[in-house]
Amino acid sequence: MASPARSPRAWAFAAAIGRELATFALTLLGAAVLVQVLLALAPGDAIDSLPNAAELRPVLAAQWHLDDPLPTQILAWIADVARGDLRTSLVYRPGMPVLEVIAGPAWRSLGLLLTATALASGVGVGLAFVTRGRAWWIRPAVWAVSIVPVFLLARLLVHTLNTAAWSLMQAGSIARPGWFALPVEDHPFRWALAVAILAVGSGALAEIHAEAEGLLERIQGSGYVQAARARGAPLWPHVARNLLPPLATILASRAAFFVGGLVILEKILLLNGVGAILWRAAIDRDYPLALGITLLTAAAVGLARLLADAVRLSLDPRRREAP
Amino acid sequence: MFAPPLRSTALLTLAAVGLAAQAAPLRYAEDRAPGIVNPAFATSMSEARINELIFEGLYTDSTELASVPRLAADATLSPDKRAMRIRLRTDVKWHDGTPFTADDVVFTVKALKNKQTASPEVGRVLWIDSARKIDRHTVELRFGQPEYAPQDKLHFKILPAHRFDGDVIPRTHPFRNRPIGTGPWSVTSFNDDNSVTLQKWRDYWGEARIDEFVMREVADKNYQAKLLVYESIEALVRVLPRDLATLQADRKVELYPYQTNSWWYVGFNQQRAPFDDPRVRKALSLMVDVPELLAPIGTGDRVSGPFVPSSPFYNHDVPARSRDVAAAKALLQEAGFTFDGRAWSRDGQRLTLTVAAQKNLETAQDVVVNLQSQLQNQGITVETRFLELPEWKQRIWTQKDYDLILSLWTFDRNEDIYQQFHSGGSRNFSGYANPQVDELLDKSRATTDPQEKKVLLRQVHALVAADDPMVFLWTLDSYAALSTRAQGVVVHPFYFFTFAPSWSLR
Repeated sequence: MASPARSPRAWAFAAAIGRELATFALTLLGAAVLVQVLLALAPGDAIDSLPNAAELRPVLAAQWHLDDPLPTQILAWIADVARGDLRTSLVYRPGMPVLEVIAGPAWRSLGLLLTATALASGVGVGLAFVTRGRAWWIRPAVWAVSIVPVFLLARLLVHTLNTAAWSLMQAGSIARPGWFALPVEDHPFRWALAVAILAVGSGALAEIHAEAEGLLERIQGSGYVQAARARGAPLWPHVARNLLPPLATILASRAAFFVGGLVILEKILLLNGVGAILWRAAIDRDYPLALGITLLTAAAVGLARLLADAVRLSLDPRRREAP
Repeated sequence: MFAPPLRSTALLTLAAVGLAAQAAPLRYAEDRAPGIVNPAFATSMSEARINELIFEGLYTDSTELASVPRLAADATLSPDKRAMRIRLRTDVKWHDGTPFTADDVVFTVKALKNKQTASPEVGRVLWIDSARKIDRHTVELRFGQPEYAPQDKLHFKILPAHRFDGDVIPRTHPFRNRPIGTGPWSVTSFNDDNSVTLQKWRDYWGEARIDEFVMREVADKNYQAKLLVYESIEALVRVLPRDLATLQADRKVELYPYQTNSWWYVGFNQQRAPFDDPRVRKALSLMVDVPELLAPIGTGDRVSGPFVPSSPFYNHDVPARSRDVAAAKALLQEAGFTFDGRAWSRDGQRLTLTVAAQKNLETAQDVVVNLQSQLQNQGITVETRFLELPEWKQRIWTQKDYDLILSLWTFDRNEDIYQQFHSGGSRNFSGYANPQVDELLDKSRATTDPQEKKVLLRQVHALVAADDPMVFLWTLDSYAALSTRAQGVVVHPFYFFTFAPSWSLR
């Protein structure tokens, strides 16, 4: 039972979460409308992907509502989504409900994202604990590896690992590894590689490491930590309480980058998640599929922000009390 | 509990080893996994190839590319050649165990023709007026006009009537991902990595030796040859010219050359200046050094018209144009262009052209860049544009917004160029129109005599070549590459897997 003294704080917390939810809903709507407009502006449509498009257009344009004015198309799509119907894929998997097309891939992509985020945070913060205030050369070293774009890192690793393994196999030094050859074998190693590349590449690890180092230095130098140290009390609750909110913010702000990296990584490593499918859907002008995935990714990024805000609000008393 | 005798155990073990050895799949790579496994909606070569493993037509090609019965047992053509009575095989079962009957043939023809099906394959059955079941294993097909060799057009795949309601095949029907055919292999799974696994259909009426096929999606064409070397796939449908030497040197890989009914061209937009003027088209044709364009991308045969040299319709009396820059310059001057020593211009405007090509057309970039360089050396400014398929269709086919395109046409065994060169053809987006060609094409469609058809189309070849609607370039030498473990391999130039039932895997 909440004490009467905490009620205003609880209200402020609820109001803040409410504001975030409203922003979240508007973001989803905005992303969906924007993608519809962009797809409509792109030359060609889904029927153009078919060999005898001219003959099929009269029937398919009506079936797929491609002749309707854009505002009508957008409103009709929103109405369908509100009823829980994301429609069916037109070209990528003709006739298959969008939810059915993306359900499996979405879980795969989400798993990859979450694991990569956890790995990037764990390694970044762990490294920061070790390197803070010493070993000055580690930061540039982390940057040097992490700054490599995801697609380049993926291509380099696939090529290097395959070439090395093939040479060793030809020399009789090793038996054929289960993951060989990347990326066509569906082996746990391929997934581990994907997680590592996503966690490290495009500056993810470097940014988290640098931020965590700075935060740790500030926290360790703060009065309450020194007081706790003087009392002989454990330091980690203070460190965790002050480290988590800003870390959550950094991770949330990186969520969109992670999703961006995912598209290209899934394509290179043949992971067939929603990123790779979105790429295909955009090229094929498969509107319902592209929109469904956009909605889903916008929701995932929005949820990451919501989660980060919830962490920040629940752990940071000043923010909870803010109007 | 009984312990099996030692000898039986050894035999069982041997049998198991044998089975395990046979169960090794033949894995082949495609740039793109089929979006739908339903012959009624096949729109890509990867779909056509996988359909060849799963489905069958009434007729198919022999290794000499003559029509031979497949689901048909035998047939009689009526004296007026307007009807054909086909007796079907009685020992064929669909992959769900249901017997194949005349109902399936009647359904397929009706459903493909049905406008509500909106099948891109409708052209394959439009010539059939009606399909009627005579008895459980006999059908009668009636044609709109006399057909001299209808079996050549009866290769389209038959679909199971019992899986659909009425005479329509909806795109949204669950058949799309639970397809069944009568072919040697049945789909067992669509996998998470977009690969498709097929296993030998246990009740197949014919012989098939390979137990399992796996179609693997490898979007990066440059990587496919590497996977064959790494023994991660056993078959590569088409080898890129740059990979030929590597694969040729690999003792575990065998190359199989095959001829495709496919030719490349640089097309002119004849509906706007400057290519509405035949002199400018001819000038450009004479400026291009075709062998120099071909050399960097592979080997092949020059073509002088709209057929490949191995075609019966190819007119060998028409020579391929040779480069003649002096003649080209004279023609441009005749068309009103002047050359100031650096560039051509007319009415104060420099001659500037845009060459477009499809992004996914392999090696197109090399050809376009070389073409650009050749024309720029002759004083013509050239811009390049590479387009994705939907944009290509809209900009080139619909809006006709281009000067030059680099592209290719691929034909099946019928080599029907009507849609490309008839003034009313659905694929004649360049605006080519010659009443004489129209008349000859109409006659070639109507004739029942193959000899007459040959003569008519050879005339079309000569007329089209003289009109310069495009610079006819070449037909490329194509090579498939397979692991030496694959035995008895003969590849079909278009569908690739037509003869796969006789392949085996060591």
